[in-house]
Amino acid sequence: MKRFHVYTLLCISLLFCCDALSEVRVNGFASIVAGQDTDKKGFVNSPYSDEIDFKPESKFALQVSADLSQGLSATAQIIARGANDFDAEFEWAYLSYDLNDNHTIRAGKLRLPFYKYSDYLDVGYAYPWIRPPRAMYSLTFSTYEGLSLLSNFSLSDWDISSNLIYGNLDDTFFATTNPTEGKLKDIYGINIQASKDWFSAYIAYVGTDVYIPTSSIEGAAQIVELIAPSRGTDISLDYDYGDFLGLGFTVDYDNWLVNTEWSTVAIEDSLTLDTEQWYVSLAYRFDSIMPYVSYQETESKSKTISISNAVIPEQIIPSQPTLNNFLQNALDGQMFEYNAYTIGVKYNFHASAALKFEYNRFNDIVDIGSLGSFENPESSGNFSVAIDLVF
Amino acid sequence: MMKLKLCVLPLICCSHFTFADIAVIVHPSNSNAMDASAISRLFLGKSKKFPDGTVAIPLNQIESSTATVQFNSKALKKSSSQLKAYWSKLVFTGKGSPPKSVDNNGAVLELVSSNPNIIGYIDSNELTDKVKVLTTF
Repeated sequence: MKRFHVYTLLCISLLFCCDALSEVRVNGFASIVAGQDTDKKGFVNSPYSDEIDFKPESKFALQVSADLSQGLSATAQIIARGANDFDAEFEWAYLSYDLNDNHTIRAGKLRLPFYKYSDYLDVGYAYPWIRPPRAMYSLTFSTYEGLSLLSNFSLSDWDISSNLIYGNLDDTFFATTNPTEGKLKDIYGINIQASKDWFSAYIAYVGTDVYIPTSSIEGAAQIVELIAPSRGTDISLDYDYGDFLGLGFTVDYDNWLVNTEWSTVAIEDSLTLDTEQWYVSLAYRFDSIMPYVSYQETESKSKTISISNAVIPEQIIPSQPTLNNFLQNALDGQMFEYNAYTIGVKYNFHASAALKFEYNRFNDIVDIGSLGSFENPESSGNFSVAIDLVF
Repeated sequence: MMKLKLCVLPLICCSHFTFADIAVIVHPSNSNAMDASAISRLFLGKSKKFPDGTVAIPLNQIESSTATVQFNSKALKKSSSQLKAYWSKLVFTGKGSPPKSVDNNGAVLELVSSNPNIIGYIDSNELTDKVKVLTTF
């Protein structure tokens, strides 16, 4: 009886007497993931090898949010990733202010709202798979520094929410393949979601000026400058406009869960190819056990480039191709195609924890390079096991 | 497995629980009428006000309470792990946080009877005249 009163008093004070004090909440999540490829070759799209590894996708995160009352709050999420030697880093850090019941403005380091699962990419517990489909969730950066306006409306039976963003990003791009310090300047975007009962859909558009001086593209730009002065800018990623368009829908009906998303990424005036990616996933809930299957695909779109038919001097490239041939080869060399089939099961063995088993069969289809070709795609399997927690 | 036993035991031992409805309760001075969908929207954080525009503070009971298990499945139509996943999406994106929880029916009764903004749920056989019933499930 005594314990009950103390607890009640505590709750009352938490609920109603915190005008002067800020209320601090601590939440967290963790994923321990082990994976192993069935093939020895190092596949670009798998962070694993043929030896079991616990590190690449394991992570541990803490989120602290302080409710400063009257609609003002501060939130920080600190995440330690195995891929980063478990060094703790701030993934989010922002202030949030409720302008009114329908609008909240946030400022700080925030997540770019590209995809359906962008906001909780790292929270494995919140989705069926061990990781969101890699083909779709392929952009290697996920945050920005700036502003976000969240809005919520009801339209008859529909819940509509939108996120308008503006900001910048300084980051190391292509960290695993060709680390390059770069910038995304004047990022703006909108993500609109609509949901009703068992159906939800979203559409997202993000545009930005891209500055990523990778060594390979800059090398090509210098050759272009020599032969066609002032045309190097058509090659370099020198604040060229890049954009992202994505859409998707989810059906969560009875025990069925169907997800599909599609997106395209393009950067103007540069030696880069546009890409397109999509996936579809189907899951069924048997109480605490949810088996799922999915298919994902990403490919680049071929492009032709024409700047000059002049020959590149022997001192630069011994075979003396024309500039156009040289550039076209560089573009064609970036062609890629990747797909994967996934089968797995999520088992909610505890109210705050899930155990997952997943098998992926993926095919790397690249035109140039050590792996597959369009005729002979290189394939591998991957087994993964994960435990996802939220607390 | 432990959790399963804990849930099933009271159902077997005290068969009257099986027949007890869940009553959604507010302060007697609260004159709002709400249907199941409006109640579920409040407890899922999709709306924050009563139909008359006053602020609504939904109050949960702890996860292990029988009332919570029944309210989640009958009113919110979600299992505890579905709810956990739902709230983690909002919590870890700074878009919302779940209602506060108290220990038992008695604690809900006490808080609801003392604050017109609070809405809670209890086993209907624990009802008293200090609160008003909005609906039962």
